[in-house]
Amino acid sequence: MARVKFLCDADRCIECNACVTACKNEHEVPWGINRRRVVTINDGKPGERSVSMACMHCTDAPCAAVCPVSCFYTTADAVVLHSKDLCIGCGYCFYACPFGAPQYPKVGNFGSRGKMDKCTYCAGGPEEDFSTVEFEKYGRNRLAEGKLPLCAEMCSTKSLLAGDGEMIATIYKERVMKRGYGSGAWGWKTAYKETVAI
Amino acid sequence: MKAQFKIVVAALAIIFASVMLPAAAQYNNFQPTKEAVQEDKLLQQLKEGDRLSGRISIPDAKAASLIQPQGQSWRDFHQNKLPTIGGVVLLGMLGALVLFFLVRGRVKIEHGFSGQTITRFASLDRFAHWMTAGCFIILALSGLNVSVGRIIILPLLGPETFAELTHLGKLAHNYLAFPFMAGVALMFLLWVKDNIPNKLDLEWIKQGGGLFSKGKHPLAERFNAGQKVVFWIVMAGGTVMSVSGWFLLFPYMAPDGVTSLQLMTTVHAVLAVGFVAAMLAHAYIGSVGMEGAFDAMGTGEVDLNWAKEHHALWVAEEQAKAAAVPRNSVPAE
Amino acid sequence: MLTKRKTATASRARLSGLAAGLASGVLDRRSFLRRSGLAAGGVAAIGSLSLGAVRKAEAGPVVAGVKSEIKKNVCTHCSVGCSVVAEVQNGVWVGQEPAFDSPINRGSHCAKGASVRELVHGDRRLKYPMKLVNGEWTRIGWDQAINEIGDKVNEIRAKSGADSVYWLGSAKFSNEGAYLFRKLGAFWGTNSIDHQARICHSTTVAGVANTWGYGAQTNSYNDIRNAKTIIFMGSNAAEAHPVSLQHVLSGKEMNRANMIVLDPRFTRTAAHATEYVRIRSGTDIAVIWGMMWHIFNNGWEDKEFIAQRVAGMDLVRAEVEKWNPEETERVTGIPSEQLKRVAETFAKQRPSTFIWCMGGTQHTVGTANVRAYCNLLLATGNVGVFGGGANIFRGHCNVQGATDMGLDITSLPLYYGLVEGAWKHWARVWEVDYDFLQARFDDVPAKSGRPARTRKENMELPGIPSTRWFDATSFNPDDVDQRDALKAMMIFGHGGNTVPRMPDMIKALEQLELLVVADPHPTTFAAISGRKNGTYLLPICTQFETDGSRTASNRSVQWGEKVVNPIFESKDDYEVIYRLASKLGFADKMFKNIKVENSRPVPEDILREINRGGWSTGYSGQSPERLKAHVRHRDKFDLVTLRAPADVPEVGGDYYGLPWPCWGKPELRHPGTHTLYNTNLHVKDGGGTFRARFGTVYEDKKADGTSKTYNMLAEGSYSKGSELTDGYPEFTFGILKKLGWDKDLTEEEVATITKIGGANPDAVGWAIDLSGGIIRVCLDHGVLPYGNAKARATAWNLPDPVPVHREPIYTPRTDLVAKYPTRPDGRQFRMMNAGFSVQKAAVEKGIAKDFPIILTSGRLVEYEGGGEETRSNKWLAELQQDMFVEINTADAASRGIADGGWVWVYGPENKSKAKVKALVTDRVGKGVAFMPFHFAGWYQGVDQRGNYPKGTDPIVLGESVNTVTTYGYDPVTGMHEGKVTLCQIQAA
Repeated sequence: MARVKFLCDADRCIECNACVTACKNEHEVPWGINRRRVVTINDGKPGERSVSMACMHCTDAPCAAVCPVSCFYTTADAVVLHSKDLCIGCGYCFYACPFGAPQYPKVGNFGSRGKMDKCTYCAGGPEEDFSTVEFEKYGRNRLAEGKLPLCAEMCSTKSLLAGDGEMIATIYKERVMKRGYGSGAWGWKTAYKETVAI
Repeated sequence: MKAQFKIVVAALAIIFASVMLPAAAQYNNFQPTKEAVQEDKLLQQLKEGDRLSGRISIPDAKAASLIQPQGQSWRDFHQNKLPTIGGVVLLGMLGALVLFFLVRGRVKIEHGFSGQTITRFASLDRFAHWMTAGCFIILALSGLNVSVGRIIILPLLGPETFAELTHLGKLAHNYLAFPFMAGVALMFLLWVKDNIPNKLDLEWIKQGGGLFSKGKHPLAERFNAGQKVVFWIVMAGGTVMSVSGWFLLFPYMAPDGVTSLQLMTTVHAVLAVGFVAAMLAHAYIGSVGMEGAFDAMGTGEVDLNWAKEHHALWVAEEQAKAAAVPRNSVPAE
Repeated sequence: MLTKRKTATASRARLSGLAAGLASGVLDRRSFLRRSGLAAGGVAAIGSLSLGAVRKAEAGPVVAGVKSEIKKNVCTHCSVGCSVVAEVQNGVWVGQEPAFDSPINRGSHCAKGASVRELVHGDRRLKYPMKLVNGEWTRIGWDQAINEIGDKVNEIRAKSGADSVYWLGSAKFSNEGAYLFRKLGAFWGTNSIDHQARICHSTTVAGVANTWGYGAQTNSYNDIRNAKTIIFMGSNAAEAHPVSLQHVLSGKEMNRANMIVLDPRFTRTAAHATEYVRIRSGTDIAVIWGMMWHIFNNGWEDKEFIAQRVAGMDLVRAEVEKWNPEETERVTGIPSEQLKRVAETFAKQRPSTFIWCMGGTQHTVGTANVRAYCNLLLATGNVGVFGGGANIFRGHCNVQGATDMGLDITSLPLYYGLVEGAWKHWARVWEVDYDFLQARFDDVPAKSGRPARTRKENMELPGIPSTRWFDATSFNPDDVDQRDALKAMMIFGHGGNTVPRMPDMIKALEQLELLVVADPHPTTFAAISGRKNGTYLLPICTQFETDGSRTASNRSVQWGEKVVNPIFESKDDYEVIYRLASKLGFADKMFKNIKVENSRPVPEDILREINRGGWSTGYSGQSPERLKAHVRHRDKFDLVTLRAPADVPEVGGDYYGLPWPCWGKPELRHPGTHTLYNTNLHVKDGGGTFRARFGTVYEDKKADGTSKTYNMLAEGSYSKGSELTDGYPEFTFGILKKLGWDKDLTEEEVATITKIGGANPDAVGWAIDLSGGIIRVCLDHGVLPYGNAKARATAWNLPDPVPVHREPIYTPRTDLVAKYPTRPDGRQFRMMNAGFSVQKAAVEKGIAKDFPIILTSGRLVEYEGGGEETRSNKWLAELQQDMFVEINTADAASRGIADGGWVWVYGPENKSKAKVKALVTDRVGKGVAFMPFHFAGWYQGVDQRGNYPKGTDPIVLGESVNTVTTYGYDPVTGMHEGKVTLCQIQAA
């Protein structure tokens, strides 16, 4: 079975935010929850690069390691998912996550955390595939339809790559060889304990 | 008209020519592709505790953080350090208490029960104590559950029941935090004046509170040095737990986002371990550890002999007060 | 630990109904709309969530077991032309899928394109027609609205004349809608009909068309993949045209191409450049001449190309000689060795393409800027080649098409102009009497010493540009060169915050007798003024709720299929135009050859009429049938060449979207033209030459009495396979006869030509030959019907035939004004353009001392245009919640301004000010500030949310940059100065 990953080629990313709104659109993600976002490093300065970031679906995921109720699970494709039925909204996964992926709706008048929400790699959740309840809790399940995450599919410059880790690493490597520069497979060392060797 | 215009322009030209610098000077020979940042270099340059962050248009400071490597150390703290510290401290304290009990046994009232009692804690005092203590117990248990429950309890209950229980625990933890904070504040107001350290406390400490030698009872006022220590542990611990907990209750108010929250959880957890350990000792000496002690917070009425042995000066003071203002309720001597 | 294995069912499994039992909770169209209608409730409502924190679906999910339809349309935002694939269930648009088969976007979108589904959720759309009654918005019906509006414009017409009603159309129209609207203006009897091209690329169209024939992008986004050097000047395509960057960055990588960005701002585009050059705003001509100084002085120009295909380069050379490195650096601020490197790269590492946008066009010297860019391309021989050309990125989804369809104060559809021959051509196409059309126009009495105009003269005179309608309203009627001042604005799909001098505009808005806003949203026009009556809002649906064709920037025409029916009570443009025409009494004439079904003209029929009249620009071959076939076979077109292999049925050999010119009748199956003026191809393969628009010889008479004659036809250059191997003029029936080619015409064709020509059939040109015969014969002989000429380096008919640098009206470099003043005051487009007086006064008053910061403006990727539509889209609005000003770190520090803090931006006219957030950044240099132009709803610190009809206020409101922008108009097109003014900034 494939080990799926995300790779953002920052030398292609133009902070167009298509990935962000594609995600919102596909999963009807509410205001204030940002499963994916684009951060610009060195904004306006020499060296500026933008990077699209969401849950990286880590190997040995820190969120799963620290979750007090073990609500995380990893699919055969290595997608890290969680059960909103089990989640208690404690925030621990947010503390441990290197990428700021976990999001929480503000609940109550004081704004404490509701149940955690994050990128599902467009793979739904533990509910039955394509069910209404799966959509309402986790969003659409593209992976089960044989499609890839919409953020990557709609990326304006094909900067954000999704799919089998080895395959997207090869694509990135070929690009870097061809063009002669590359600012790195952002987050790979942190998420997968490996990088794309050029 | 035109000539005048030209003169004005010429005059201005002179003024401006002297102050204007080429606007683009700061970006000379700038080649963005060549100079692009490299992720691995940025990570190498990152100082301990720093985040790789940038600019983002949504008004959420947290979202501007791209990679925060200290999530790994927080995970390590949570997964490894905290259970170790917790295990050592809590089990150590339990062990110490058992050992103490085995060696010293129950501290008895030397002169036996007198049959006469003296009011040690009025109902307001006891209300403050038990409100705080009650909350503390649930806070401690739910806190412990969140930290290690999934190792110990989850296998017993199964994921759904355990999650439900833990969720209730979280709600209890969140809501009981408020009466706990109120209780700490109330106790401070009620008892602070009797908990100011003084010279007597030095003597009491020198004698080890008389705990380790039978028949020795260093003089003490309303609260002896040991009790004062407990008081100040509760005050300081309660305050720090409250402040750190406050940010965890309202995560959206935390300055600097995840970094401060990580610090707060670490402080909260480590302090909780020490706090629980201290309260274990407090609970021990207030119940099984000492004959007659529980009544103080139980009924509020303590045996006069117990009081004389442990708080001689206080008894004297109370009796003097009673003599000055005779009241029916004061037990006759 | 839980584990769950995902079953990777076959693609689209959910669409074929894999579990019919799950079909509970199917959302039908009616309940969906009801929900949408109730859902409006401010930002707070979006932000708040129920305690359960598991959100409720609004329009999804796609329900298994319910039939899904796939509809293909085109994104309604920028001009790239990204295909949108919509999944529709029960009439509800439930999902967007990537359009991988489109050669233009290959599945990609930007933030806007990836969120277009929200447009037909339409929480904040205008839901029914409304009318302002004593300051209160009141719901009315369509019939009442059309009746009252019709009566009012007729009353104004009777009292003040047809020219007192202004028809402001839209780049959001389909081609068919734009054409109908232009036709409506013609039947109404005014040339004051305009659209957004006025404020984005009118100067491009004028400048480029005056150089080599057509005013459009010469190549395509895809073709940039062939470039070796790419210059962006005044273009931030990464934010304005994000998907174009896919082609640019791929090309940059594959060819290791040079990507050079010249801009006052270090933009997201600049971040990916190989070289960034920071220029001072408004010095484009100096920069280009500075580059060409190096090119000419080092002999890097393409001498053969210039000799064969360019006229008047000698005069340019003389001007360029003045721009030595010292003077260039003094004026532009660019170090000379950097500019030399850029010039050398551009000239030597070919093919080189030059990309520009509104950073170049929105200036008092906009047309001259554009002409300077063209000259750089001509001097280096980079026009008419793959990988080269003027890649002009246009702004809106159909601004190219709407321009082509003549939503322009200077022309009838397809660039025929306003001359008698043009009117007669369209009268023949429309089958109406020329005299009827002429009678619709006003005659204008003599005023203020200016002579009177007959109806015919008025019919041939350009109207008022959209940048100055408010001057035409509030000026003394004697100063407006028509019968009376403007009294009514009919605004179809145009924002109210898009033009400078908003304080002046608001005053005029309050003076109008009638304001009609026909739009999916109320727009700024509805909310910004103190109007109490005489204001109507008509809900128009988006292009996703109707069908029609739209033309992308690269001239490819794409057919868009209706995704869902118009939501709420909205209607499409076709129907509203038809109803208006009916009310005004000329619908039977106007729709003589267009089928109308239930008051809705059929768009396919409109396109056929366009085909019948659109010879001049080659809009004749793109029949609805061919365009629909292109959508069906999208996957067959090559990514780089945009061409389908010859053996593909229906579309074999075609270029994608039949980019115009697509010569002759559809049956000729001309493939369209991927790159204009490309002599390396046969005309039947999309080859071309420069258009012979400017005669065969030109005699340049100098002031000293001497003169020089220029041969305006190409010399020794011709398109591949041409039977004429030298330059030639445009074709007429007479020229065909001289060549003996008239024998190739059919009898029918000759009959048509003879009928058109009347007494003088020899004079019938290719562009008015309704038989298409002249074009057909030309193609068979391998020649271009429009001739084979030289491009004009010098455009003798323009105010500055050779562009000269002129300082902006509000310039910080007042020291340069004496040497480089703006053009003298003069009457243009029926009014005085007093730029010179304004500049002079600004210098004399020392404005630059009180307002020391250059203020420029531009786009954000999340929003578009006036922004009402995109700021109402919750998925986009969340990403940009506050209007801001970018201010340099040093300027902020010296003013005590913190990043994210509130500031006041003060403008030099009208005591204007705007309260916005500070974005402290080095994107802008010291002494420069930038503001995006999409915001409205706040005015000088006051929140105007309450002025919108309830439930239609955009989620995000903010100050408009144009509250503080200032005077300044291009003399050729009336383009406003949107990119350079002065301001002062203070912490609020």
